[in-house]
Amino acid sequence: MIENLGLDFISRTIRTTAVVLFIVFIYGLYYFDFYINLAILSGGIWSIVNMLLLSTLIRSALTPGEVDKMKVAGLALVKFPLLYVSGYFLLTSEIFDPLYLLIGFSILMAVVILKVIARALFGLDKKKLNTEPLQEAR
Amino acid sequence: MDYQTALGFAAPLAVGIAAIGSGLGIGRAVGSAMEAMGRQPEAAGKIQTAMIIGAAFIEALTIYVFIVFVMASGKIH
Repeated sequence: MIENLGLDFISRTIRTTAVVLFIVFIYGLYYFDFYINLAILSGGIWSIVNMLLLSTLIRSALTPGEVDKMKVAGLALVKFPLLYVSGYFLLTSEIFDPLYLLIGFSILMAVVILKVIARALFGLDKKKLNTEPLQEAR
Repeated sequence: MDYQTALGFAAPLAVGIAAIGSGLGIGRAVGSAMEAMGRQPEAAGKIQTAMIIGAAFIEALTIYVFIVFVMASGKIH
């Protein structure tokens, strides 16, 4: 179990995904067709926007304190129709191959899994937890 | 039943089953998260993050099925 799974984990994941997408795009310009590259980039951006809106929606809807109902309703109205309609148009357009959109979409999931595995393997959270009492004692 | 008819029946059915499955999954995740936040309000941040990641994975599975549906429906004539 990852102990130090703070709210900044998602923003760090999104930042890492954006960097990975940029690197893939630059390499892809040389090795693949432009439209394959564009499909991977679009899939990646789709997943990033999806994650951003999902996290904003959950943070505003599920809080121990007061919930701003108008904000939640507005976010839900933006997230679900806009994102699925844009996804539908991306998938049905002749320009993008759905397979490469899928690859782009999966990059964010791969980043999350790799980040969690790396934290668990290198024991980053345990190290942080072990140093906390020492720092307090000093 | 030929291949085209079977695909025509199976593809929308698969999307429906995936939607039901992910709906149940997200519902269960949100319910458990609310319960956990009620018990430990000081751990709300960690619970929310874990839930957001879980919800994103569940939603991604539905989107995968939707993409496969679009790919399969292109083969139905």
